[in-house]
Amino acid sequence: MAKHSHYPSYDVWDQHKEWDAHTQKVVGKRRSPQVAHQFFTETEALLLQTVVSVLVDDHRLEVLTFVTQHLDDSAASPIGESQRKVGVPPKKELYRLGLAGVEAESHRTYGASFVALKPEEQESVLQRVASGKTQSEQAWTAANPVDFFKKLLQDTVGAYYSHPLVWSDIGYGGPAYPRGYVRVEKGLTDPWEAKANGNG
Amino acid sequence: MATDDRVTHNSDHYDGYRSRGMDKRKYADEADVCIVGAGAAGGVLAYELAKAGLRVVVIEAGPFWDPQNDFASDELSMRRLAWQETRLVAGNDPLKLGHNNSGRGVGGGTVHFTGVFLRFHESDFQTRTIDGVGEDWPIRYKDLAPYYDKIEKEIAVSGPDHFPWGAFQGPYPYPVREPISANAQLFREGCDKLGFESVVAPLAILSAPFDGRPPCINRGFCNQGCMPNAKYSGLIHHIPKAIAHGAEVLSDCMVTEILMAGGRVSGVLFQHEGLTHRQMARVVILAGFVVETPRLLLQSTTSRFPNGLANSSGWVGKAIMPHSSHDVYGRLPDEVRLYKGTPVLALTQHFYETDQKRGFARGYTLSAHGARPVGMAGAISAEREDGSFLWGNRLRETMLDYNQFARITLVGEVLPNPDNAVTLSGKKDEYGMPIPQVTFSYGENDRKLYQHAIGQMKQIIEAVGGTPEHVVSDTAHLMGGCRMGDDPETSVVNDFGQTHDIPNLFIAGASTFVTSGGGNPTNTVMALAARTADKLVEAMSRRDV
Repeated sequence: MAKHSHYPSYDVWDQHKEWDAHTQKVVGKRRSPQVAHQFFTETEALLLQTVVSVLVDDHRLEVLTFVTQHLDDSAASPIGESQRKVGVPPKKELYRLGLAGVEAESHRTYGASFVALKPEEQESVLQRVASGKTQSEQAWTAANPVDFFKKLLQDTVGAYYSHPLVWSDIGYGGPAYPRGYVRVEKGLTDPWEAKANGNG
Repeated sequence: MATDDRVTHNSDHYDGYRSRGMDKRKYADEADVCIVGAGAAGGVLAYELAKAGLRVVVIEAGPFWDPQNDFASDELSMRRLAWQETRLVAGNDPLKLGHNNSGRGVGGGTVHFTGVFLRFHESDFQTRTIDGVGEDWPIRYKDLAPYYDKIEKEIAVSGPDHFPWGAFQGPYPYPVREPISANAQLFREGCDKLGFESVVAPLAILSAPFDGRPPCINRGFCNQGCMPNAKYSGLIHHIPKAIAHGAEVLSDCMVTEILMAGGRVSGVLFQHEGLTHRQMARVVILAGFVVETPRLLLQSTTSRFPNGLANSSGWVGKAIMPHSSHDVYGRLPDEVRLYKGTPVLALTQHFYETDQKRGFARGYTLSAHGARPVGMAGAISAEREDGSFLWGNRLRETMLDYNQFARITLVGEVLPNPDNAVTLSGKKDEYGMPIPQVTFSYGENDRKLYQHAIGQMKQIIEAVGGTPEHVVSDTAHLMGGCRMGDDPETSVVNDFGQTHDIPNLFIAGASTFVTSGGGNPTNTVMALAARTADKLVEAMSRRDV
């Protein structure tokens, strides 16, 4: 497995002038997120950002700020969540309860706030939430840890893999309108696409 | 951020009508036909009925999109093409709704479908008779064949000269797509090695110019809304043509109630920007898909219809069916680049018909299916078939190899079961309507079918030197909930979509399906709508509905 990007010299944003205006605007905003939390408190937002960094194994502030901001926006938004399992609290409640649960779990196990834990301790706390083997029972009476983890992971991954820096890491060609792709068959790339290890 | 990125709401697009304030409606007094929902079925009906000279009003809950200004080459922001209002889900296998199977806005789901355009097979209409499972439809393949022909020709479906499965063997109206993506090439090579026939997919995507629209440029964002207008959608084809023939489209308008006058429908109530309006009509057609159509019927109760409209059988909302749609992601030695080209460019129906040796009834379609980062990472992290999660370092390192993954997707038949149903919950939404609850559990046959398919998908990947690494549990599409039939005691509508209980209330779209079939349903939805339109034009000209 790769430890680093196969495409170290590739930056998808270099191509943004080739994109349509609406897409440029949508993607461009992600590069300079506004820190203005509408839904989460500052403490919650810091905790959330720390949890996010463990989930995606990334510590670049510009990316994490965008993901946290997106999660805050979507929690504040009146737009629905498409579906919610019967018995699972609405998203706004689930997030709040879940974050409190992570903090409680952290204190119970390590006697400290999640943000102050070592990386392997943070992973261990989240692993217990993911598998439903939490120990701080009181904190999880209103929300199931696995339901929370799944929702948070889905939302986090959706935002993280929408950031152009992450697109560059994985060699994703990104937006392609109006020019499209000409060379789509095996082994072919258009001149502007990412080339593995700078080859090409 | 996405939330302040407003759509243009360009529904006041034709001279003299539909000001923003709703005070210049075209058929404010009465229409001949009111269609609820501007999706795959509603678009065809609006066009056919307006062309026949009827006064048509289409009421659509979502926006009237402008592809150039409202769409973007972006997964996250284009989730808004789906019906995102929260529904409750229940059962052993609660469904993922939203972008997975619904649309909101003019064009409905056709705005973000992959464009795969398949016919059902003859056996799909007689599963009870042939295989002893499901239920027979009140029509046969031959009843629908002329309408499949008509729709495919009308929207210039591209496809192979020879299609090896089912009653229709080609050729398609427009040339087959060429070239195909690396993922589709690998899929076809794998199929070849295993002795499964495969084809380049029949698609509602242009392979050459047609009707003022250009051929596909392989941008790959079919599921995020086509910007060059190479892919068919009701938004760019049937609805504008219906408007040209005199139809009115009221977008951003949510129908909240069906109005009754004795035993007949007289119109509907709808909300626009918080105000309630009324649209009277001689005939009402509900084309709001598998969740919203039953919801509207169930909540529109009167003393004469205490269990909801058109529900004397008790079958409204029952026997909904998704397709099982598991994915297998396999790692290949060389780059595949799943983001490039039309997402589905190759498929096989080698496993479509029942084969007793497999230990289950009915079958499925397998497609080579592209994937973008959000789609792939979301699926392999949080939708894994074994119920585990992939996150942290393992997720990051897997996604660093994104370009080396190939993907195959299942469209598998799910048998109808009345316990899988849309019902009303006790909770209310922003319109004051009861929030629907959607219950779904796979049956034993369904599970055997998708397990078999997962095995075949893995084999295809291995046949080209790949390693299957991620099996994703997913569904696609929704069908049923207002099924058609000859017997008013066990079905909601007749074979033309007319409700058994109320002569001037019709239902169109996937909700009338009796079984799910094992292939993508949009062609069948549109063919059925065209058939309903023919019947309705004839009946209305004789004034006998």
